[in-house]
Amino acid sequence: MVAEQNGFEAAPNGQGGGAGQGDGAGQGGDAGQGGEVIIKADNVSFFYGQFQALKNISVDIMADEVTAFIGPSGCGKSTFLKLLNRMHDFVPGTRLAGEIQIRGTSIYGPEADPVDIRRRVGMVFQRPNPFPKSIYDNICYGPRLVGVNRKADLDQVVERALKAAALWDDVKDKLGKSALDLSGGQQQRVCIARALALEPEILLMDEPTSALDPIATSKVEDWIRGAGMSIVIVTHNMQQAARISDRTAFFYMGQLIEFGPTLELFTSPKEERTENYITGRFG
Amino acid sequence: MFLLGYSKEARKRRDQLATGVIVALAGFILLVLASLLIYICVQGISAINWEFLSQFPRESMTKGGILPAIVGTLYLALGSMVISIPLGFGAAIYLSEYAKQGPLVSVIRLGVANLAGVPSVVFGLFGLSLFVTTFGFGRSLLSGCLTLGLLTLPTVTAAAEEALRQTPGSFREAALALGANRFQAIRQVILPAALPGMLTGAILALGRAAGETAPISLTSATAYSPSLPDSPFNEAMALTTHIYNLATNGANIAGTRPQQFGTSLVLMAIVLGLSLAAVILRARLRRSRKW
Ligand SMILES: Nc1ncnc2c1ncn2[C@@H]1O[C@H](COP(=O)(O)OP(=O)(O)OP(=O)(O)O)[C@@H](O)[C@H]1O
Ligand SMILES: [Mg+2]
Repeated sequence: MVAEQNGFEAAPNGQGGGAGQGDGAGQGGDAGQGGEVIIKADNVSFFYGQFQALKNISVDIMADEVTAFIGPSGCGKSTFLKLLNRMHDFVPGTRLAGEIQIRGTSIYGPEADPVDIRRRVGMVFQRPNPFPKSIYDNICYGPRLVGVNRKADLDQVVERALKAAALWDDVKDKLGKSALDLSGGQQQRVCIARALALEPEILLMDEPTSALDPIATSKVEDWIRGAGMSIVIVTHNMQQAARISDRTAFFYMGQLIEFGPTLELFTSPKEERTENYITGRFG
Repeated sequence: MFLLGYSKEARKRRDQLATGVIVALAGFILLVLASLLIYICVQGISAINWEFLSQFPRESMTKGGILPAIVGTLYLALGSMVISIPLGFGAAIYLSEYAKQGPLVSVIRLGVANLAGVPSVVFGLFGLSLFVTTFGFGRSLLSGCLTLGLLTLPTVTAAAEEALRQTPGSFREAALALGANRFQAIRQVILPAALPGMLTGAILALGRAAGETAPISLTSATAYSPSLPDSPFNEAMALTTHIYNLATNGANIAGTRPQQFGTSLVLMAIVLGLSLAAVILRARLRRSRKW
């Protein structure tokens, strides 16, 4: 079967200064225990050639929570997100300083295997990008890469992934049809299912609803709220961040300005720049 | 109000004028094309019968059929694709997927584009000196295929690269994010998406290879052959050179006009058939892709 290393064991080690968990942002908090840090960024700077896109970012992202990245266009949200599954490896001329760990292991260290990291950290993109293949083959793409080839296993993976992405009932009768024939919202959920098929520990989502209409958006949002897994989502929509995230990070010009529980950040921001942004004074 | 109405009138008139000009031009081109086709048909149809398509030439090519020329042309056209498709697709994949985009790649791309404009007789001369003489392949199908392969290589490469560049980068990203390596992303996702477009270019190049005269008359063509080629090292007849020979130094130039046009008709049918296949492939591609 697909890597079964998904056991969310609640690590007992005390974490540093995690702010109050029960901020009750209408969350399906089925994993409510005091958080375990799943991603730890320490003093991360990132360069495209000469241009420094990220400046000294340190952040602890909690397991089983939804973390939102907000900030004006060009502030580095996507850049930071892509660092978390090593998608910058393919961009020539980029450079990273600092350290990023997932569950305590450096993902840029000499031991790290980028392909393995990308399997453990799934990604959903801004525009739905299903392959021009059948729904079934889309979902199976990742599992097949790791050598799952038996029909029975794949059937099971497809069903589980589509159910997890709340799409099974919509498409169970047309798995052989091209994924491109689906609506935008359905396509995006195929992409979610495709990422989930590898049973990732973390799901990264870069503005996953910005190309979708309101109904499709709310379906994807519902899914995120109920997913009960570690999700990092970039969004331009502050209501969306408020609706679905447990914690929010505000980026501005390559810096992480403020990071805290979503409710706190939106109701009583500590930084003036955060307040200006969320009240719409710039951005 | 008045101005508005006036400009609307004027715009409408200008629009009608432009449409008229375009329709007239298109009509003119169609007319020329149609008359050419009709002329060749009228002149050649009388020569076409089963014997013409299935027999060897007889009596100094004034009688009999053109079977060896048809077979030779098919061998040459398909053989040249065996050379240019792997090389061209490979070069296109390298240029669009692997090469570091920069001045060097731009120069290569420009070079490829210009190579497509080199007159075919120059390729013929090149093939004559390289394949026929230096490599010692002699005047043979092999030399002809290699020469035509080089001749069509730029077209195949450019079309394939264009098709590859048109597949959205988001496919690549998605595959990589799912743990594919670069090669897997290309082979499993990008190539299948680009393949119809790449093949369209190859089919057009195939038509061009079938229609060439100078390169094969320098490297592989023979005026008359009593048997079908059974080895790549045989010389072979071809439709284009057959037409040329009948019309310039045949035993009965005027008397074989129907054969000349009949052979042209067969050649055109082959080339048009290939182009039609390309058009259908492209249409199907357009319908099936929505990204
Ligand atoms: N491949 C690249 N090469 C050079 N500079 C880049 C590249 N990608 C992004 N940048 C620059 O890095 C900065 C951060 O970009 P990034 O895409 O992370 O912003 P973002 O916060 O995601 O913005 P948006 O909300 O518009 O998506 C921008 O100034 C951008 O111009
Ligand atoms: Mg972005």
